[in-house]
Amino acid sequence: MPVAVGPYGQSQPNCFDRVKMGFMMGFAVGMAAGAMFGTFSCLRIGMRGRELMGGVGKTMLQSGGTFGTFMAIGMGIRC
Amino acid sequence: SAERDPEKKMEEYAREPCPWRIVDDCGGAFTMGAIGGGIFQAVKGFRNSPAGMSHRLRGSVTAIKTRAPQLGGSFAVWGGLFSMIDCSMVKMRGKEDPWNSITSGAMTGAILAARNGPVAMVGSAAMGGILLALIEGAGILLTRFASSQFPTGPQFPEEGSSMPSPSFGDYRQYQ
Repeated sequence: MPVAVGPYGQSQPNCFDRVKMGFMMGFAVGMAAGAMFGTFSCLRIGMRGRELMGGVGKTMLQSGGTFGTFMAIGMGIRC
Repeated sequence: SAERDPEKKMEEYAREPCPWRIVDDCGGAFTMGAIGGGIFQAVKGFRNSPAGMSHRLRGSVTAIKTRAPQLGGSFAVWGGLFSMIDCSMVKMRGKEDPWNSITSGAMTGAILAARNGPVAMVGSAAMGGILLALIEGAGILLTRFASSQFPTGPQFPEEGSSMPSPSFGDYRQYQ
């Protein structure tokens, strides 16, 4: 196993930091993915204007939360 | 592409060398899917059950027992196929970069949707590729941010003494 050198220099980042960072990264990725796919699917079911904004925002938050949770677990099982 | 700086070695995901990565990814994906599916199904089963604490708890357990292993299994299929293609591409191209991940994400999506027809394959491939591109992009941004925050770069431990060099080690310098 290579020695994991985290973003905090020599000190090994502890488990909670890694999980937190995984969640944040997953949340960001999920928000971006939700923005794309959410816009697509909301346009397809015929949302326009203000309704579209709400729909896309909801999809973004949902997929961000889901992704973040899974990424956090993925980080957690590896430390 | 541009010459990568040595700080790129500080990859957040220190990944296994290649043949073992398949096993590692498959099992990691199964665990991740099973735990994550357990969490989400617990909530879902709780909310979908009839009123009463015992009913709700039993519904939650039933939902976890039926759905979490399924989700873990589909995660494992995705992860295993993904890293099989990834490793094949590492072997074929002789280097390891984000394009490997993106392409293998797209190919995994296409292969797993193969039984649903070509249209579904294209859609699923696009989804896989975009998702993996986002993940790789986030990883690159994170690495850049982390190395800009500590301009001297991380202090690596003594090279060679604690770090056994795997036979696939020379791919790592491209990452």
